Amino acid sequence: MNAAKDVSGAPWRDSARVSMRRSLIAFAVGAVIGLILAGIALFTAKGTSTLVVPSEDVAMVNQQPVSRSDYYQQLKTQYSTDFDHATPAQRKAVLDQMIREELFVQRGKELDVASVDPDVRTAMVNAVEQGIAADVIASRPPDEKLMAYYKAHQDKYSAEGSMTVRDLVFPPANATAASQALQAGAKPDVVAARFGGRDSGRVNGEEFYFAAKIHLGDAMFAVARGLAAGRASTPLPSADGSHILFMVSNRPPEPRSFEEARASVLNDYEKEAIARLQDGDQNFFRKRANVLIAPDLR
Amino acid sequence: MVGIGRSDIRAIGHWISGMGAGARLLVAAGLTLLVALALWAMMSRQADARLVKVDPDDAPVQADIMREGVERGRGLFKSLCAGCHGPQGQGRYTLGAANLTDKDWLYGQGHVSDIETVVLYGVRAPNARTWKLADMPAYAKPTPYAREPSIKPQQPGDIKDVMQFLRSLRGLPADAEAATRGAAIYSDKGGCYDCHARDARGDDAIGAPNLTDSVWLYGDGAEKSIYDSIASGRAGVMPAWFDRLSPAQIRAVSLYVYSLSHGSAQPLPSLP
Repeated sequence: MNAAKDVSGAPWRDSARVSMRRSLIAFAVGAVIGLILAGIALFTAKGTSTLVVPSEDVAMVNQQPVSRSDYYQQLKTQYSTDFDHATPAQRKAVLDQMIREELFVQRGKELDVASVDPDVRTAMVNAVEQGIAADVIASRPPDEKLMAYYKAHQDKYSAEGSMTVRDLVFPPANATAASQALQAGAKPDVVAARFGGRDSGRVNGEEFYFAAKIHLGDAMFAVARGLAAGRASTPLPSADGSHILFMVSNRPPEPRSFEEARASVLNDYEKEAIARLQDGDQNFFRKRANVLIAPDLR
Repeated sequence: MVGIGRSDIRAIGHWISGMGAGARLLVAAGLTLLVALALWAMMSRQADARLVKVDPDDAPVQADIMREGVERGRGLFKSLCAGCHGPQGQGRYTLGAANLTDKDWLYGQGHVSDIETVVLYGVRAPNARTWKLADMPAYAKPTPYAREPSIKPQQPGDIKDVMQFLRSLRGLPADAEAATRGAAIYSDKGGCYDCHARDARGDDAIGAPNLTDSVWLYGDGAEKSIYDSIASGRAGVMPAWFDRLSPAQIRAVSLYVYSLSHGSAQPLPSLP
């Protein structure tokens, strides 16, 4: 550094020579730019006070923005019109309503409404939970992870099975003979007529497995599920007689390929991830909180 | 307070003047960079302001706004949306990600403001303003739709009858008797009319698809995928971006999505 060197007379356009005037100008320009940048940062950063309404907002209420997109949406909802076609009165009415809402929300915060109003508390809990879930949904997992999840839970991804089964009730004395006749290939109605049987009426045509299970009961459904089409069960004793199940058609649950199940796999994967993340957050909140529990509940 | 006098400024001037050529070059480069940054920040803010201040539904007729939005939206779309909707927005029918190159809109009528609402708050996304008025019930489950207990499961034959009815609506060969039974189920115990409307043309207010055309959100229109939709239900989720993108970015993506269906004459076929 050569501060003692007198260079004040050097022409400022001559870049080959040192010029004090040029240096001062450069210094001043730098300082101004620095100030501008600092000003921009200071007055536009989140949470800082500003005298300017940002372009994406239509108003600032105690430094809280009223969003322009919400404003346009509200205008459309309320008056079925867009901004350009709205009358000044309509524009003002919507703006006033939105400012009023913001003012009341702010007052609600001052009054700590959340501590007494269960609806507000529920809304706040939901909002925090939803915020956690939103993180998961916005970052879609890669296919490899989905495929691994699908393979680990493949039993969940199958089309519901269905069956058409006849539930015939016979007097116990005839049941074995009736069963043998059915096994031999006789038609169910013929066998029922011949051996004094009747249709229980519990099942009606083709039913999904879950419905057949409800209608037949767990034990009889378990037997039915194992029957192939055209086969009859052995007599199943019951209070109202001996039941014989005759299977007309049986379509077991059909596994769905990864591609067919992809949307469901993604939903389930995300649900699990959300639950995990919410548990983690809850643990974190508890860890940093000072929770005192009454002695009788410890 | 310590004041800065003329002598101080003179001293700083001397200090700067005394710098070597390399240091002066560095200072000049730094200043240029700062100026460029300041200009860039200013222009970027102005561009943002131009994008967000325009009424979204007027944007398509303003060529410069549209050009700017589409240009900015393209990159965002590729990085955030293409994973589900495909690189050219043609959709993926295994995920139920809509084809954005046609003019068939599930939610709203395809205005920029409608698209923007979906981009902002998503579909069945975890926020209070998302689009989640209805799901497609799973009619082959004991409880097809937990939010509407009055909807009861249907038998496999009922589902097949409804499919015949849907075929008849699309002008395809169908079993007339089964289609008649299917129409009755559609309009009565199945409750399908409640979302898809009496004429089965859907309802864009709740995102219920038109069942009379050949545009499919899930599957390629094959009988198996239609059966799957009715039997297993559908409830696709699109993330909300309101708290991840700036208003200008939201507007840019919306304009880009709008341009996908308004740029070319023919929609692209959906990806599997």
